[in-house]
Amino acid sequence: MMDIILNTGSTVYQGAIIKGGNKFTEGYVREAAYCNINPEDFEALGRPWYVRVTNEYGDSVVVKAKKTGTQQKGEVFIPRGIWANTVVTPETESTGSPRYKNLPVKIEKCEGPVLGPEALMRANFTKNGKGQEYEAKKYLDKTTSQVSHS
Amino acid sequence: MKTDLVKKEGEVIKCTDVTCPVCGMSCDDCEIELTPTSVTTKNACLMGDAKFQELRSPHRLVYPTVNGERVSWEEALNAAADILVKAKRPFFFMGSETSNEAMAVGIEIAEYLGGLVDGNATICHGPTVMAIQDAGQVACTLGECRNRSDLAIYWGCNPADSHPRHMSRHSMYMRGFFTEQGYQSRKMVVVDPRRSPTAAQADLHVQLKPGKDYELLDAVMVALRGKELNPDTEKVTGVSEETIKKMAEMIKECKFGVIWVGLGIASTRGKHYNASIAMRLTQLCNDYTKFVILANRGHCNVAGFNHVLSWTCGFPFAVDYSRGYARYQPGEYSCVDALTRGEVDAVLCMCADLGGHLPKKAVEHMMDVPVISLEIAPGPQAFVSDVILPGVLDGMECEGTFYRMDNVPIYARSFTTPPFDFTKSNEDTLKQLLKIVKEKKPRK
Repeated sequence: MMDIILNTGSTVYQGAIIKGGNKFTEGYVREAAYCNINPEDFEALGRPWYVRVTNEYGDSVVVKAKKTGTQQKGEVFIPRGIWANTVVTPETESTGSPRYKNLPVKIEKCEGPVLGPEALMRANFTKNGKGQEYEAKKYLDKTTSQVSHS
Repeated sequence: MKTDLVKKEGEVIKCTDVTCPVCGMSCDDCEIELTPTSVTTKNACLMGDAKFQELRSPHRLVYPTVNGERVSWEEALNAAADILVKAKRPFFFMGSETSNEAMAVGIEIAEYLGGLVDGNATICHGPTVMAIQDAGQVACTLGECRNRSDLAIYWGCNPADSHPRHMSRHSMYMRGFFTEQGYQSRKMVVVDPRRSPTAAQADLHVQLKPGKDYELLDAVMVALRGKELNPDTEKVTGVSEETIKKMAEMIKECKFGVIWVGLGIASTRGKHYNASIAMRLTQLCNDYTKFVILANRGHCNVAGFNHVLSWTCGFPFAVDYSRGYARYQPGEYSCVDALTRGEVDAVLCMCADLGGHLPKKAVEHMMDVPVISLEIAPGPQAFVSDVILPGVLDGMECEGTFYRMDNVPIYARSFTTPPFDFTKSNEDTLKQLLKIVKEKKPRK
């Protein structure tokens, strides 16, 4: 397990997915559930396919590992989204804005899998039975989605 | 309003000068061709095009639901009103992809019921707004940047990804009145720990250590004044003395410089202190040349929330009406803090994806309390919602006003109608809701 700094942020492809209302699709996983890692850190982590990122609360998320020269040693980048926000901490330093950037986390190699958006939401949020209720919601089922206007 | 901008040819609608309701640039030069089954866009970026495709998407939410079951519009509004009037401390979140007019009604409901009200502006550039209160902003419009700016410093932002048309329309590649040679007459500095797509195009990429913005901004001010830098500057910031001095020289040599600040400043450690010193650096730059600072705001009408709330009660965000008058306290009445502490007992979220954009610890509380959402597509926010009222696409299906990132109000016309007839706009939805709320809970 390695101590590292997490930065999150938008990418244009992740932006196109969320602005198009496609958050519960494979495209969202492709564009938001990965972690850019500096080559030296990537080697030190054992050339992982997947990494688990864990914050100080013990909340963790599994994302795909990407080796990239755009990162400095000691810091990683995960695009903005529900995977990154699983580990973003809510401290706002009395400003209202959470710690989306420069967040100390731990990172380790793991075997996956990366949860899809619906599975991740259910794994993270099942209190009060809302997660189960959601199973029954018709618009989640792609074959009986709300009527498109033709 | 120029009505000839919308043309109907049979079932095909063609519209020019459409305002894009996606990022803070509110580009108003988009062209749309809408058929019963397709949307074709011109001048829109990848994100803008994706948003316009929502007009004909198969996943659009077109009927209201309560606990996942389809209900009538009246039943959904009554369920929403019941939740709000029973709540002791309701929380109202005004998302940014809707008009000022809708936000004004949302704020009115919050005031009527004595709730908390906050918006996307807080989790985005809230600290930058606090810095404006603290230090003051030297600002200008995007048009002035286009026509005058010969130096752009992108500090903690990556417009190539977050605002895809930023550099081509306003800050770098286009030709302006005093910048006839386009990009050849401009210089670009990017301050970012990452080698971002924007940094790859820069004349100077200042790759600082994460979270050392305040220290680096301070060092640039020292270099501008011609003083000796602290010998530990490079060790602390990760940036060499030579690079800092070069940046100071570029600032002094330019005729009109712009610092574009992004969430790299506002979301990192130090927050509003970082933004404050960036504004003080801008003021110092004006001792040598003309310089302004602008925030690269992420959503189309995120600045609008600050304006609407400010003209309503005098405060830009994080307001509590529980005592019958407005109180302002970021960190206490702001969205993430109030949710994380678990002190609100009902949430109304208009046109924002709190379920997807807030930290897990804040979203967890939304699972414990009733949540009402105005939403257009399935996703994390629909997941955490009990009552879903189908949203209307402002700037496409209804007209409205957006504040652009430089605080210029832009009128967004409509060119089609919503795919349902129970509401005309998000403003209309909230007005109907307010009417029922007033019936259920008359003012004493």
